[in-house]
Amino acid sequence: MANEEYPSVNERPPDGLKPDGGNFKLMVVDDSMFVTKQLTQILTSEEYDVLAVAENGEVALEKYKSHYPDIDLVTMDITMPKMDGIECLKKIIEFDKNAKIIMISAIGKQDLVKESLLIGAKNYIVKPLNRSKVLERIRNALS
Amino acid sequence: MRLEYINPFVEASCDILEEVLDVKIKKEELFLKETTVPILGVAVLIGLTGNVRGRVLIDMEQDTALKIAGIMNMEEIAVFDEMAKATITELANMIGGRAITELHNEGFDFEVSPPTIFTGTDMEVSSPHLEAFIVPLDTPFGRIEVNVAVKEREDSNF
Repeated sequence: MANEEYPSVNERPPDGLKPDGGNFKLMVVDDSMFVTKQLTQILTSEEYDVLAVAENGEVALEKYKSHYPDIDLVTMDITMPKMDGIECLKKIIEFDKNAKIIMISAIGKQDLVKESLLIGAKNYIVKPLNRSKVLERIRNALS
Repeated sequence: MRLEYINPFVEASCDILEEVLDVKIKKEELFLKETTVPILGVAVLIGLTGNVRGRVLIDMEQDTALKIAGIMNMEEIAVFDEMAKATITELANMIGGRAITELHNEGFDFEVSPPTIFTGTDMEVSSPHLEAFIVPLDTPFGRIEVNVAVKEREDSNF
């Protein structure tokens, strides 16, 4: 049986913890309060720190800049009012070429996926969100 | 109206509902309506553009919407509040997105507008000059109607 002194080999540290013990900091961008709640629940269950939430690209860009360089990864919806996810992806990459952004959309059209990856997105997830898929893609992008 | 325009929306509705609710969905007989259709209580409208013009309506009673929103949020939702609206809107967004992806894979150029939700009783929807195909879906939480009204654009090559 595991105890504090000798943890079981089967126990793994939460995905959201960095090797130094700090938490990875993320920003969730989506105009749906249902999706931001769902993503926040998935991420915090693995001890990711959801540092910021934005409901459109304009707000996301502003928040990314104001928190720079603290945000380790962004999840970005594509269809949003004011500034969509593709435009915001471009602008964040222009500002920080090392930004790690994962696109999340209900639309999985190949040209949209390709365009996002060419601009610099690390990956693309099609909704509905599957917890293990979301965590796996984020873990891979941060590794 | 070509059936290959409707089937992706019906299939996407069944697939997404089965995925997010973890239940079996039964498709009932498709029927055609040329006139005004009453809305059941909660309806999400998605506009269609590209090679076609038209719209898709995902329609259900409020009680059904509350039960579905509760399952998707993993908590009981008693009042059809902003979170419930956002949840049902997102459900329709996923259905539209899945259908558009499928239509695109088949070579059709369809785009969808962001979903708009309507709630209330004694409402009707009319789409002048468009036939509406309605496919009722039988779920354990009540009936959901997928209502597709679409027409090819005159300058379309399809």
